[in-house]
Amino acid sequence: MKKAIALLSLVGLATTAWAAAEIGKPAPDFEATDINGKTHKLSDYKGKIVILESYNLDCPFCRNHFTTGHMQELQKEVTSKGGIWLVVNSVNPQHPNYRTTEQAKAEFEKQKMHATAWLDDSSGKIGKLYGMKTTPQICIIDKDGTLIYNGAIDDKRSSSHDPKTAKNYVKEVFGKLQAGEKVTPFETQPYGCSVKYAGVR
Amino acid sequence: MCKRQASSYLAIPAGQFLSHMRAELSRCDLAGRSTARVNSPAGGPCPLVETGASYGCRTTKYSNFFAFQGIYNDVRSIVYSLVAAFLGCFGARAATTQASLLLSAETAAPGTTLLAGVHLKMAPHWHVYWKNAGASGIPTTIEWSLPPGVTAGDIQWPVPTKLPPEEYTTYVYEDEVLLLVPLTLDSNLNQPGPLDLKAKVAWLECMESCIPGSAEVTARLNIGPETKPSAHTALFEAWKAKLPAPMAKGWWEGPAKDNLRPLVIEWTALDAGNVDFFPYGSEQFEVQPATERLSAEPGKVRLRKQVKRYQGNWPSLISGVLVQQAGDRRIAQEVTLALADEKGVVAVSASTANTAAAPLAAEIAVERKPLWLMLIYAFVGGLILNVMPCVLPVIALKIVGFVNDAKHHPAQVRKLGFIYGLGVLVSFLALAVLVIAVQAAGHHAGWGMQFDSPYFLLIMTALVTLIALNLFGVFEINLGGRAMSAASSLSAKRGAAGAFFNGLLATALATSCTAPLLGAAVGFAFAQPPLIIVLFMLTIGLGLAFPYVVLSCQPAWLRLLPKPGPWMEKFKVAMGFPMLGAAIWLCSQLTTHYGERAWSLVMFLVILAVAAWIFGQFVQRGTRYKGTALASAVLLCAAGYAYALEHGLDWRRPISSEGEDVTGAVSSYLAPAGYDWQPWSPEAVAAARAEGRPVIVDFTARWCLTCNLDVKPVLASEAVREKLKSMDAVALLADYTRFPKHITAELKRFGRAGVPLVVVYPKDPTRPPIVLPEALTRGMVLSALDEASK
Repeated sequence: MKKAIALLSLVGLATTAWAAAEIGKPAPDFEATDINGKTHKLSDYKGKIVILESYNLDCPFCRNHFTTGHMQELQKEVTSKGGIWLVVNSVNPQHPNYRTTEQAKAEFEKQKMHATAWLDDSSGKIGKLYGMKTTPQICIIDKDGTLIYNGAIDDKRSSSHDPKTAKNYVKEVFGKLQAGEKVTPFETQPYGCSVKYAGVR
Repeated sequence: MCKRQASSYLAIPAGQFLSHMRAELSRCDLAGRSTARVNSPAGGPCPLVETGASYGCRTTKYSNFFAFQGIYNDVRSIVYSLVAAFLGCFGARAATTQASLLLSAETAAPGTTLLAGVHLKMAPHWHVYWKNAGASGIPTTIEWSLPPGVTAGDIQWPVPTKLPPEEYTTYVYEDEVLLLVPLTLDSNLNQPGPLDLKAKVAWLECMESCIPGSAEVTARLNIGPETKPSAHTALFEAWKAKLPAPMAKGWWEGPAKDNLRPLVIEWTALDAGNVDFFPYGSEQFEVQPATERLSAEPGKVRLRKQVKRYQGNWPSLISGVLVQQAGDRRIAQEVTLALADEKGVVAVSASTANTAAAPLAAEIAVERKPLWLMLIYAFVGGLILNVMPCVLPVIALKIVGFVNDAKHHPAQVRKLGFIYGLGVLVSFLALAVLVIAVQAAGHHAGWGMQFDSPYFLLIMTALVTLIALNLFGVFEINLGGRAMSAASSLSAKRGAAGAFFNGLLATALATSCTAPLLGAAVGFAFAQPPLIIVLFMLTIGLGLAFPYVVLSCQPAWLRLLPKPGPWMEKFKVAMGFPMLGAAIWLCSQLTTHYGERAWSLVMFLVILAVAAWIFGQFVQRGTRYKGTALASAVLLCAAGYAYALEHGLDWRRPISSEGEDVTGAVSSYLAPAGYDWQPWSPEAVAAARAEGRPVIVDFTARWCLTCNLDVKPVLASEAVREKLKSMDAVALLADYTRFPKHITAELKRFGRAGVPLVVVYPKDPTRPPIVLPEALTRGMVLSALDEASK
């Protein structure tokens, strides 16, 4: 009987792994190319904490975290401690906010980003897989590959606040995971502009 | 050039930045900044310019930056305008939504609530967000800076558009929105000049990209005794119509009476057969089972329930189930109603819950005057009743009586004066009891409601005819005629009875009139506990009797009356004519109840007159065959009764014995001539107001002399007719002749218990109706109409 349940749940795991991301469940794997042409596979980063950041600098909510330098600091903190930070840009190529590879490289440079990579997700595949609705939105995957957090970057739903004064979920969750503390998987309501998938206004 | 500087300005020190800016400004068109409405998509040639643009208006960002530099704080504001000008010259896309602050009223009275509207006009297809933005976006915020005495409520959000695709749905306003905010003015707001209202509005505008915008908006409000709507009324109406309406609304209809308080519940439903409200229980109060269906706008159902309080305050929330039954189908919807207070006289309440359409009852500010003032009104009203056309004929009787008695027994005049007063008071007491009884039976009581009874009218007609005949000298009754001259103890007694009867008669006739001030007093009284009703009725009676009582107490004043003599006989006969007129008027009232058959009554009156003549001529003054004469007089009366009343009139079966008059046609007798008067209904008022037409409503009745002799000619006057025509007013006539319940209820809403009542509804549907006084002049009507057409 126990075996049957275990088998069933395994089947369940196998199927959910390819379905949309669910909180507290194994994060669905994906493969994507970054702006430098390098391929990244989520499963390659097993054993490391992975942060996914939905990104669009033309979105004032997102930009607020960059112009204040707060996002870069956060990226630095994660990557310097062995974490992986993937910038997910899901803006579709028809959208005015779209960046060509060249523009993206320049922007990465200009903004002094400390992310592991800027993934080209112009098809929206990863964004939709992880249920990303706004920029910025954050997903945190722990070392076991479980989706621990999905939601807003911080608790101030604004495009003009000082991010330092807000409670930052990346800082909190990453800090705890890094310290080996147990984090009960949770979600928050993301805020910001819509992710510019094709057909989304 | 521009692009490079712009994209690098964040990195360069402030001083250098400023000099860059100055150099650049010489080539920039300053005028471009404030109206920069460029729709070129963001992320074009200079994406970071846009970065600056959107933050240029956000002071907090740069204040840190410059504070850090330590020197430029004082020139900060200059820098911001320079930044804005600088960026404007690029044609980069800053926020283009235009924000302005509009007010529903140009002038508002202290103690009222008006609507402020933050008007956001977006570029085509751009949108801003609802209070729940949805998957992305952020709601617009309004931060008020208001002078003391002005309070802003929550934003009332019009229903937004749902923007697909489903998974990324947002709730937005495209192109344009008016966010409504109720502003409440303190009742003791005492401001000589206009008030400056300021707000900071911040929003996120999106189409393909998102851009935050903010603006300082201002508006000016005059404070005055009367609220005057602004030029934006139509816009406010249009957006108010887009506010979500609660499924059901409830409000207190009036103050509590004996711990019972009427509650009105209204909800949107097509007439679904039987409707009811089943309340949930509470230890504090009980919503009583009886349900009264009230008239309501089309598509609405309105019920009245009585709430009984056991302890605590009157509830502000009532829960239960709205039940509609049509055939075997029964639908029940659970509701919790936030109850509006009847004192919430403002058109829009401050809470967001039920602002979509404020309860109709709250629309009218019924003045709540103190009891003592109302008692004075009652007394003075009673006094004035003496000279109203309905009581005037009785005066003849009284004057004759006084003069006559003064001749023989000046001392007795006092006694008779008191007895007359007593007669008035007793009859008013009887009226009060009648009103209380009618109310206790669950009906609406109205001033003069006995005129609704055909039987009352029949008796009054016969009685008044007999009095007229008596005055003509056809026969004697003991009201100071020749029989009095034989001053005996018996005649003194008769004189007392006569005075008492006079009092009763004066009251009976008086109730068909209403005098100035009386309407307000009676309207007030009828909504009070029984004891107050009695008090008011007696006060009116005192007013009515006062002149005669005073006159009889001061015999010296009686000398002012002419000396008795042969003129008295002539005067008495002359006074018979107005009395006869009164009889004919009463008779005309009966046409409502008997139609053409009322002519039979006239025939009966003729027969009665002949009988009275026989009685006077042969019984009272004759010497022989008195018995035969009496018998023939009685026989004549009996025959007249059988032939005219039983057979001809068929008095027991009035044509309109039950139900309300719903024929829908306006009586040509009641309608003021020369204009198209349509039957009144709340729907007709609502429909006309929806079209933006002013409305005049004449509440009148056949039996109301004031209505027909004073009000009707004013309304039919050429000046008023022309005015109505020129302003394309809708004229509605509410026929109160038969006391239809819905009109009684409507009168009550205006704080009146009877007719006449003339109400003018302004063209602007947000403004409250203008209630005209009972004693109406052409000037009053014209100025009210002028006001209404503004």
